[in-house]
Amino acid sequence: MEEKNLVIKLVGRIDSNNAADVERDIISQVTEPKETVLVLDADALEYISSAGLRVILHLKKICKDLKITNVKSEVYEILDMTGFTEMMSVEKAYRLVDVTGCEEIGRGANGTIYRIDQDNVVKVYNNADALDDIQHEREVAKLALILGIPTAISYDVVKIGESYGSVFELLDAKPFSKIIAEEPERLDWCVSEYVEMLKKIHSTLVPANKLPDMRETVISWAKFMQDYLPEEAGKKLLSMVEAIPQDNHMIHGDYHTKNLMLQNDEVLLIDMDTLAVGNPIFEFASIYNAFIGFSELDNNIIKEFQGFDFETGKTFWHRVLEVYLGTHSETKIREVANKARIIGYTRLIRRSIRRNGLESEEGRKEIEHWTKELLELLNCIDTLTFTPYELEIVAVKENLPEVQAFVQEHLERDDCPLKAQMQIDLAVEEIFINIASYAYTPQRGKASVRVMVSDDPVTVTLTFVDHGIPYDPLEKDDPDVTLSAEERQIGGLGIFMTKQVMDDIAYEYKDGENILTLKKNL
Amino acid sequence: MKLYDKIDLHMHTVISDGTDTPEELLPLVKEAGLDVFSVTDHDSVKGSQIIPPLLKEGDPVFISGVEFSCKDEEGKYHILGYAYDPEASSIRQLMEKGHTFRMNKLAGRMQRLTEEFGFVFPKKDLDELFAMDNPGKPHIGNLMVRLGFAESKDQAIREFIDKVNWKSEYLRPEEAIRGILDAGGVPVLAHPSYGSGDELILGEEMDERLKKLISFGIQGVEAYYSGFTQRLRLENLAFAEKYNLYVTAGSDYHGKNKIVVLGDTDLPAQEERAEGFKRFLARVLPEK
Repeated sequence: MEEKNLVIKLVGRIDSNNAADVERDIISQVTEPKETVLVLDADALEYISSAGLRVILHLKKICKDLKITNVKSEVYEILDMTGFTEMMSVEKAYRLVDVTGCEEIGRGANGTIYRIDQDNVVKVYNNADALDDIQHEREVAKLALILGIPTAISYDVVKIGESYGSVFELLDAKPFSKIIAEEPERLDWCVSEYVEMLKKIHSTLVPANKLPDMRETVISWAKFMQDYLPEEAGKKLLSMVEAIPQDNHMIHGDYHTKNLMLQNDEVLLIDMDTLAVGNPIFEFASIYNAFIGFSELDNNIIKEFQGFDFETGKTFWHRVLEVYLGTHSETKIREVANKARIIGYTRLIRRSIRRNGLESEEGRKEIEHWTKELLELLNCIDTLTFTPYELEIVAVKENLPEVQAFVQEHLERDDCPLKAQMQIDLAVEEIFINIASYAYTPQRGKASVRVMVSDDPVTVTLTFVDHGIPYDPLEKDDPDVTLSAEERQIGGLGIFMTKQVMDDIAYEYKDGENILTLKKNL
Repeated sequence: MKLYDKIDLHMHTVISDGTDTPEELLPLVKEAGLDVFSVTDHDSVKGSQIIPPLLKEGDPVFISGVEFSCKDEEGKYHILGYAYDPEASSIRQLMEKGHTFRMNKLAGRMQRLTEEFGFVFPKKDLDELFAMDNPGKPHIGNLMVRLGFAESKDQAIREFIDKVNWKSEYLRPEEAIRGILDAGGVPVLAHPSYGSGDELILGEEMDERLKKLISFGIQGVEAYYSGFTQRLRLENLAFAEKYNLYVTAGSDYHGKNKIVVLGDTDLPAQEERAEGFKRFLARVLPEK
């Protein structure tokens, strides 16, 4: 049996005087109620009394389903109060709004936000048939709010010309982009608020299947790229994306400074339609594009979009990584930035190709540029994940200060006494110099150092990993410290001192890696 | 006690504005599979006198019923009366008073229709109208269509009958409640959220209304009603619980005058029925 939609217009008033006639009239048009979805178009319905409600209830009972569309707000109120909106689909009529001459205060992937009066803003969707998108954004915004992310939720859907828009209350809100452009002295404050919110988003666990998985999306981008990259590079890109573990933490997906608002000293997120779950590297990829990627060839683009210049965007991006990662280590920042760029370029190239970029000179130029950058990065990067507390760095003596600073940055907390910090510093020096001196000689190689501070009891765990020749520093006998300086063997003393200051040291050689773990209880 | 599955305590016959005679209604009640039913014509207990002698062994259980239209300074009310003694003088007086008011209203309306619009109604038709138990707007409208004064009953009501002002008299709610109680019956507020049928009274306002009616002696609310959504039903059930009221179930079947299915009351399965409903049945059903 086929389901049929039967649209019937309701006109004027439905009350006790005409309810029976209206009902009879409608029923006479419904030939097969059990297969009919009755759509009551209430565009011209001015009023409905309880006699009219009874008609609707009865029609709902006899038909397969019933929907009411284009409902004016007065009628909607009645349907809502009486619980009709809970038991059937009731769609409001859309108010018409004109945004000509309104201030643009935000712009996202799917729409532009205008201020329509002092208290309200409207997001106009790019997509003409945006009702599903609006519904989606409302749902994810509600979810975010429930999970503790401050955001604005739309309270009305309106029509703007041929497009749809959703209306939010947003009082005296100023986007971060405007603060940065107008009050450059507040850049650091903006970075700190921006990162605080970002960390909050990334630490929010989302119940299963509530939000799209960004990993799936990026895998599809990487697959798309197979036709446009050299075979080896394409394969590597795909396998690196696939190696990113599934993650149920939230990411915003379009986290730039126009989507972060300051409202009465409160920081508020808008434009939630790109909300997803996934590894934070996906977030950094889109942040990179927003501040740098899009404007890499034409540095004026960011000015148009954010209102501040390219140099400010670059500084902001760098500062955000510093604060997010809790380090000034350029090596660490570069590592995360480069990983983000791999995904960022993948997205930009795909986007440009899909918009027929290959068919215009300008498009070919940008695709060429991004592809060149991407191939260079693919050449030297092997994983796309990062851990804020791990630094991978070339094991040469010159890099010692950076390694030490990196470790110290993670120890700068109240419950780590200065003395312990100094002792750990000493141990870092001994071990890193050891690796720099012996692991790869005469070649060069990388080492990584991981700093973990666990609470209760407070314990610092340092892990050094290198791929050099197998070498167990603990095998060596402790030097005889009773001998005079001349009599002592060279080396060995550093390890001895390290053992003295740390509470536990363990060595392991596994899968071609020297792994040295040091623990200190505080 | 016997399990009563299908129950409808609110329906009309030709004695008021329904389209079935009591004799015609009875087989329909059986067809609908009702175990318990009541006929509740407006301002008339005639149904409760006609039906019992028609019943045979094994027929559904009948409970005497009536629906009084009432009004006071604050609004209109439909008050149901159940399980009263149809011969009691208090209920007969109410019925007569209600009938007189209705006839006065009819006379006033007909007079005004003639004065304002110049419609002249033949005496034969007027006599027929006044001989009815409960003539109302639809009856006048039908007559006007028959006489060619209007295209449709709806148009007659909208453009003429509703346009003439006639100050009608009504029973007062306290009067109706008292009369029902004095006849040994149970007074119940019909379709509470819908007022006298075409209003919407919710929340606070309903609470105030109920408090007043309770002070007059109302004992129940018709929370299971064909025209209610889940939300309205729940609100009325909540009031019943708050004020320890009986709960009744009714379709408000009017034959062909309203497309309401006989027996459609949204009464849930036995185990889900409100306590107030169970108590009501225990109160009104004859002990066996």
